[in-house]
Amino acid sequence: MKLGYLTSAALAVVITAGSAAAQDFPQRPINLIAPFNAGGGTDLLLRGLAPHFAEAIGGDAFVSNMAGGSGTVAASALQGQRPDGYQMAYMSVTVSTIQPQIKNVPYGLDSWTPICSIAASPTMLFVSADSPYQSMEDVVAAVKADPGKLVYGSSGPGAITHLTMVSAFAGLGIIDDMKHLPFQGSGPAIKELTAGNIQFFGDTELLMKRGDFRPLMVFNNARLENFPDVPTATEVGIEAPLNELYLWGGLFAPAGLEPEVTATLESACETAVASDGFQEFAANSGTIINYRGAEEFDAFYRAQYEANAGLIEAAGL
Amino acid sequence: MQRIANERVIVQLGLLIVAVALYASTFAQSFSASDLAQSPMFFPRIILTLWIGLSVIALVQAIRKDDRATPIASWTRIGIILVAALAYTNVIGSEGFFLPSVVFALICLPAFGIRNPLLVGLFAILVPGALLLLFNHTLGMPLPTSRFSYLF
Amino acid sequence: MLSSLPEAIGILLSLEGLLVLVLGTVLGIVLGAMPGIGSTVAVAIVLPFTLTMSQAPAIILLLAVYAGSVYGGSIAAILINTPGTPQSAATCLDGYPMAQRGEAGLALGWATVASVVGGLVSAVVLIFAAPQLAAVALEFGPIETFALILLGMTCIVSVSTGSVVKGLTAGMIGIFLSTVGGDPILGEMRFTFGNWQLFAGFNLLAVVIGVFALSEVFMRASVKVSTVSELVAFNGIVLPSWQMWKGRLRNLGKSVAIGNVIGVLPGTGAATAAFISYAEGRRSSPNREGFGKGEPDGIVSSEAANNAVTGGALVPTMALGIPGDAITAVMLATLTLHGITPGPKLVEDNPTLIATIFAGFFVINLLLLPLGMLLSRVAAPILRVREAFMMTAIVILCAVGIYFVRGNPFDLLVMGGAGVVGFLLRRQGVPMAPLVIGMVLGPTLELTLRQGLILKDGNFLAFFSGHPIALVLALAAIGALSLPLIRAMRKGSAA
Repeated sequence: MKLGYLTSAALAVVITAGSAAAQDFPQRPINLIAPFNAGGGTDLLLRGLAPHFAEAIGGDAFVSNMAGGSGTVAASALQGQRPDGYQMAYMSVTVSTIQPQIKNVPYGLDSWTPICSIAASPTMLFVSADSPYQSMEDVVAAVKADPGKLVYGSSGPGAITHLTMVSAFAGLGIIDDMKHLPFQGSGPAIKELTAGNIQFFGDTELLMKRGDFRPLMVFNNARLENFPDVPTATEVGIEAPLNELYLWGGLFAPAGLEPEVTATLESACETAVASDGFQEFAANSGTIINYRGAEEFDAFYRAQYEANAGLIEAAGL
Repeated sequence: MQRIANERVIVQLGLLIVAVALYASTFAQSFSASDLAQSPMFFPRIILTLWIGLSVIALVQAIRKDDRATPIASWTRIGIILVAALAYTNVIGSEGFFLPSVVFALICLPAFGIRNPLLVGLFAILVPGALLLLFNHTLGMPLPTSRFSYLF
Repeated sequence: MLSSLPEAIGILLSLEGLLVLVLGTVLGIVLGAMPGIGSTVAVAIVLPFTLTMSQAPAIILLLAVYAGSVYGGSIAAILINTPGTPQSAATCLDGYPMAQRGEAGLALGWATVASVVGGLVSAVVLIFAAPQLAAVALEFGPIETFALILLGMTCIVSVSTGSVVKGLTAGMIGIFLSTVGGDPILGEMRFTFGNWQLFAGFNLLAVVIGVFALSEVFMRASVKVSTVSELVAFNGIVLPSWQMWKGRLRNLGKSVAIGNVIGVLPGTGAATAAFISYAEGRRSSPNREGFGKGEPDGIVSSEAANNAVTGGALVPTMALGIPGDAITAVMLATLTLHGITPGPKLVEDNPTLIATIFAGFFVINLLLLPLGMLLSRVAAPILRVREAFMMTAIVILCAVGIYFVRGNPFDLLVMGGAGVVGFLLRRQGVPMAPLVIGMVLGPTLELTLRQGLILKDGNFLAFFSGHPIALVLALAAIGALSLPLIRAMRKGSAA
């Protein structure tokens, strides 16, 4: 008897969960997936956001990690889930727009309901502080004088660091005379830049501050506040679409989310990002906040997907 | 004893076949790299070649020597536990952590010789239950849950 | 930084400081001692708590859990032959045979003292020589690292208990498994056969737990008949007496040095250090004949080295802002979160914080001894449980541990498969430690080989001209390979 009662109670839970109207959302904890290891930059950003997000949506939210394959494993797994709004992943420009165009992953342009963008930082090209190169003109001259000698690093093939290098050197027409040395992550690449085994590397401002480095150009639409003397890629003579490159990221749910649920999540995201707690977190951790709502983010994401197709071709990936 | 003497040969032969099949598969894919040393298959081919060579030596040794693997005490027991463990690791993703763990313990403990139903039942409920309470409901880092409820 | 030490000690002796030190170390030891659950999961569990703490306690908590779990891993390795992490795999080789002889308490005693000495020395080195050592790390470019990994690979021969051919085969299987997934230079997919789950390759921990812990359960299910037997005779740690150390101190010193040096080099890690140190012990220890059969020097080699790595790994992390391994990367990210930019100026700008971290690390290692002895007394009754319960619990704990490594149920399938394959291979006398070495070192070996070929335009011989460190390491590797051969030939001609 008792077992029968329990079964019907469990069934009742299933039925109510299935037919729950969008206005009752959320009824259970929301899972924010970090597609990288616990303790990484993405993971910490989500952990900083989660409590404010939970408060804004009036429910519970937790962060889980699903690492592997430069973030593609988590994205591939999420793509096959039911679009109920209880699972979202924080995906970066590489996971959402670059990896699906260079790997045979089961997701693509139309697999997602973008909810909101949260952060974006332009990338910069930098050299070691004791490097002889003071400007990009010096670099072009050095490469032309001695082709096949200078080496640029990356944190891995297809990573944003790789695309930064490709944009710079393909944009200046000297990429065929240079060597590419990929590493496993930015840490080892920065070490080799300090040691002198690579001459160039590109990442965000936050990473550049990790060592004694000198930026030579920034892939932003304007010069940066902290580096007023560093030219933009456009000023150096790099043409669109290679002249602007941002490491951005935001929350994505699987495609086909009900509009009411999307709206609920979007407004919770907006409130959370604007909260004092998250703003303080961002200031401490050097995160550059760049909020976009669902509709705007969707348009931005699609435009980036197209723009990066050109970049990928230039990179020969 | 012929059957056990063969177990070594069969396993060594299996290792050799796997290595040869993998080596053959390296030619099935085509890659963009022009330079041999930078082909993605350059390094794996070296390793697979060594693997094949070593397996051949080990196979010859296995055929020549009459070493025997430790005999299996009970085929039923090891069979049940192998199948149960494989099924268990397979279904956690879809059926959640708790229910498969209970079923696994209910199968595994008697197979290892525990006959007291009370002990088996208590262990099967309490151990997975404690882990579930700890991770899903205290630490907020949930193990997979079943299709029935997000609570277990 | 040294002038900030008194202030740092004040912070550590405050109520919060002491609480974090003791609780963190206890938690680390307990989690590390559970089969299947290692440092990665332990750190993931405490990470959310560190977010709400202030800088120094947050980092101390991470360090305590980390050092505690590295030490705790040796407990499961010695008592049940189920290392929770690759770095304790070498400890099994002699620890478990000792436990089977009924000397489990003494085996743990050796492991404890070796761990504590390794950790303490590395803490002192860290406090006094971090900047100098960081300069050494910069000397190790891709080519030097390649030569070092090559030397590490020769350990496969020393840890091949039984047949060297079988050990080498296992090593090749390990290296091969590490090549599955994305190519490190071009990003193209290898041996994935269209399955996106394999794009990320086989997870190292899933394979290690499968071939050691899960296959151990299968091994026991296939041989034991008794159902009432206790798992192992164990009443708590027995510290080795001073006389027992006679003739073993040289080996201890060497192991600590190896652990420190390897820890400093980014991208190598505790497992590499433990195996290289074990191989060196087997080559040079006066007790080398007993290695693999329960020789204390084997335990000392592995445990002193893997604990010394924890301090060594902090050197490039704190002095250069370059993480030495996955755990130190988490620490750096935590610092960033508190508004501190890791980098060459970290020590200069935050002397008190760094002094607190370094002094805290010293205290954590001091705590390992009393806490380890206390916990082993508490845990002894648990180990008296019947084997059936322990084996079932191991399978369940392994599933939990592996799930949390990457949050991916696919890794559980890998663990199950590795368990069955490991069982089949172990029955044929194929040792599993070489497989782990291959899988740990394989990715770095390939990456650095191909990086070197890019830098030298495809000329392999150019690796050794103008790279004296690489040349010495490569010669050492050749020596390590040929020495056993020469010894065997001498024996042959004498007979």
